[in-house]
Amino acid sequence: MNAIEISGLCKQFKGKRRTCVDALKNLDLQIEAGEVFGFLGPNGAGKSTTIKLVMGLLRPTSGTAIIMGVDSTLAESRRKVGFLPENPAFYDYLSAEEYVAFVGSQFKMDTALLKRRSDEVIKQLDLWEARKRPMRSYSKGMIQRVGLAQALVHDPDVYILDEPMSGLDPIGRALVKDIILDLKKRGKCVFFSTHITDDVEKVCDRVGVIVKGSLVAIDRVENILRSGLEGYLVHLQLSDADAGTFAGLQAVRRTGTVSEFYVPSSVFNAFMGAVNTSGKEVVLVETKRRDLEDFFLSLVTSSAQESR
Amino acid sequence: MATIIHITLKGIFRDRVFQGIMVLAVLFLFIPSAASLSMRQMTELTTTLSLSLISFIMLLLAVFLGATSIWKDIERRYTFSVLSLPISRTTYLWGRFFGIALFMLMTTVFLGAMALIAIKAATFGYPPSRPVVWSTIIVTILFDALKYILVVAVAMLLATVSTSFFLPVFGAISVFLAGTATQPVYDYLQTPSVQAAVSVIVRKAAETLYYLLPNLSGFDLKVHAIYSIPFNVQGLILTSIYFAGYTLIILSIGSFLFAWREMK
Repeated sequence: MNAIEISGLCKQFKGKRRTCVDALKNLDLQIEAGEVFGFLGPNGAGKSTTIKLVMGLLRPTSGTAIIMGVDSTLAESRRKVGFLPENPAFYDYLSAEEYVAFVGSQFKMDTALLKRRSDEVIKQLDLWEARKRPMRSYSKGMIQRVGLAQALVHDPDVYILDEPMSGLDPIGRALVKDIILDLKKRGKCVFFSTHITDDVEKVCDRVGVIVKGSLVAIDRVENILRSGLEGYLVHLQLSDADAGTFAGLQAVRRTGTVSEFYVPSSVFNAFMGAVNTSGKEVVLVETKRRDLEDFFLSLVTSSAQESR
Repeated sequence: MATIIHITLKGIFRDRVFQGIMVLAVLFLFIPSAASLSMRQMTELTTTLSLSLISFIMLLLAVFLGATSIWKDIERRYTFSVLSLPISRTTYLWGRFFGIALFMLMTTVFLGAMALIAIKAATFGYPPSRPVVWSTIIVTILFDALKYILVVAVAMLLATVSTSFFLPVFGAISVFLAGTATQPVYDYLQTPSVQAAVSVIVRKAAETLYYLLPNLSGFDLKVHAIYSIPFNVQGLILTSIYFAGYTLIILSIGSFLFAWREMK
């Protein structure tokens, strides 16, 4: 069973002067249990709209979203979900401890288990010292951590996180990545939105790119990275006499006795054959590829050009 | 729903609403002194002033708590996190309502106790011509509380559809004022002389409003408390049923509208 199943999901908002804005156009998406899925898109692409539709905060114009086999318009669909909204806000007169306990009680957690889990997640998110203070005294980053704590407390099967790294410092971002990787290891499904490609590259199994309300690409992260392979940078130990060229290729840099050659992937095998024959020492081979950011930018740019 | 009620109460107490009420309750201390100026009807005047002060405080609470609780949750984006939990919007709305209603009842008990102390103090100063019937005063205060809980329901209904603060606040005040006047207006329009003078359209419009708006006159038992007049028990039962029925309808409509509301 898919953890999240979105079929033909559309959302139109009424604009000014009876105009309609298509915030989401016919989205089809299946996210498997145990999968970490990154939902990538520029600002205003429809990421948060999709998440709000899945969480039942908005009503779809057409189409359906199903979470663990239950229609997302029903409150019951959220029983196995941990949700972090974008720029979260919680009852600021409550402390982190009280709020996490409140959330846990909504999932009908046993009191002793709730207390144990609450302490665990509060410590994990480095909120222990501040746990009894009202949240109105918290910084933005601390609120974001409370958001993650309340999403984790009941240990659900599905996590839907809207910009989970937003407002966090580098330490917080690293912590969130570790948490997501840990969830992945434990077979949980994580669906998170972001516009930061590095986040996706490091933790996701698959990525979907949404631009102007349409899903323009969906693939496994490794496939994208593999397809973006352009060549290799081969570091060879060469004498000064051989330093300039090797196997018909010009060195791009020379550091001490090591020369660096950029080898396009089409001639890589021939180049390495020549290295073998000559008996020269290979110091290092680096892959040169388009990263996810280049892939994302090319999709956004081509989408913008098409719409012109 | 119990947890929603619990956090609603916590929010009200931590926003220092109750402390504000306690400050206003200091006014009870001055009521016997003010009533002593009347010389002869000191107890009656103390009762009148005490019940009026309770009504005033309860009206403020009903309008501001009822109108702002949902609105504030939406405005401050609390709804995104709360409504994404496995609770229905109906549960959330009813939980909020019961939390506020419970607070109103707690306030009633506190203010009622203050009023009884003030009235007792007045009876020492100038013995009343009619005996003070404490149970009548308590029932009067209780029905006053029911009236304002009904106003809370109206304010919450308006908050479920409104995107601003104004409709629930001013709407609730308007409904309260109109609801207090519908019964006298209806009775007036039923008199034969008026029926002849007023057009059918005006009478029908008044009749429609009479049935549509909450009829708050039945909850006003102050005359009974002040002059120790016995209640019509059947009337009290009918008023209680009316309260339960009207509140149920209002909140059911509110739940329906809130369920359709988009949390953008």
